[in-house]
Amino acid sequence: MSKRVLAVDDDPDIVMFVKTVLEENGYIPLIAKNGETGLSMARDESPDLIIMDVLMPRQSGIRMYRELKDDETLRNIPVIILSGIARRTFLRSQEALSEFGDHPVPEPEAYMEKPVEPAELAETVKNLID
Amino acid sequence: MKNKKLLFVTQFEELWFDALQSLMDLRKAGFNHAVFLHVIERDKVAMRRGKGYLKDEEVKLREMANVRFIDWAESLFEQGMEVGAYIVVGNPLPKIISTAEEEEVDLIVTGRHKQGKFEELYGGSETLEILERTSTPVLVYKYMLPSGKVNERPFERPLLTLDWSPASEKAVEYLISFKNILKKVVAVHVIGEKEFKSTSAMEIQSLRKENKQKLEEVCLLFEKEGIEAESHLYVGSTFEQIEKAATEREATMIVAGTTGKSPLKEIFLGSVATKLTKHSMLPSLLVPARVNL
Repeated sequence: MSKRVLAVDDDPDIVMFVKTVLEENGYIPLIAKNGETGLSMARDESPDLIIMDVLMPRQSGIRMYRELKDDETLRNIPVIILSGIARRTFLRSQEALSEFGDHPVPEPEAYMEKPVEPAELAETVKNLID
Repeated sequence: MKNKKLLFVTQFEELWFDALQSLMDLRKAGFNHAVFLHVIERDKVAMRRGKGYLKDEEVKLREMANVRFIDWAESLFEQGMEVGAYIVVGNPLPKIISTAEEEEVDLIVTGRHKQGKFEELYGGSETLEILERTSTPVLVYKYMLPSGKVNERPFERPLLTLDWSPASEKAVEYLISFKNILKKVVAVHVIGEKEFKSTSAMEIQSLRKENKQKLEEVCLLFEKEGIEAESHLYVGSTFEQIEKAATEREATMIVAGTTGKSPLKEIFLGSVATKLTKHSMLPSLLVPARVNL
């Protein structure tokens, strides 16, 4: 059975890119356009992998990632961050939230800074779920 | 404390990252989520004879805004803030209103847009329209002081202008919600010359006494919350006297309630809100009577 990948991004061009890469490689894409819907879809659909942006409306990827890793039923889903925000910033932001009282969260399984080549994305997805 | 959101509207004309950074004190008042909005005005990318819709221009403007927003977001994320961003094409007013609704923001921060001849005549109407249609307070932010220095803590010493309307009561309540960052509130009421109808000194003194008592009651509300407050009565034309009071009392911002009348009515009635938006050198925090506290 094909594996299902949840892509969370507000940019329609990126959504189209990720969707095409996933479909061409035999995965089923699920789409959410912000962190809030992304989290709710992750809970409802239990995908095999999540590909998510950081800078998004309603709820950012920083918070969404933290909530994913805080949730016992979701924390084992591998996550690829695909964003224009630098990896170093992402990690520092998570540290900043931990300093404000939240507990630390593990680093994401993969971090890709936009733009990425289709083959590079497909390879990363394959390495994480196949 | 509830996590509050501010919508920071920038056309990259007046409001840049240093303006946003100077508002970071608002975190102490619960504002931990900033949403950036840049509207690419439709006429910049609209159809041209022989060229069609300027798609390349739209992509260029989007990416320019995106590069800026990513850089700003990185700085705020690292400070532990929550950040979101919108880059949209259209007319600014409906886009500001729809984004404010979509994100359910608690405060809208805008600058003054560069004005053409029409806007010069009706200047300020955009802000009033937002106030009428969203019931969200608007901070018209002028972060450079007339001295050329940056207004680093606009909420430190606000001048609260009171006309005893329901809107100014809401302004009092709204301002109290910023108690963690207020140092001193200067409460001011301006008695218009028209109010000196009587030639009796006794009646005029009664008018003074009555207004002063009301001001003192407002000051007590702030003092109960641990905020220092002082009251002053001015006489004359409202906007000029508010500006005078702001200078004399070294205010960092002016706060006023707005009636929620249609923008055109406000303009033709020469409302204080319109004048503050258009002419004041200080940031103006305008609170609509319908604000949800």
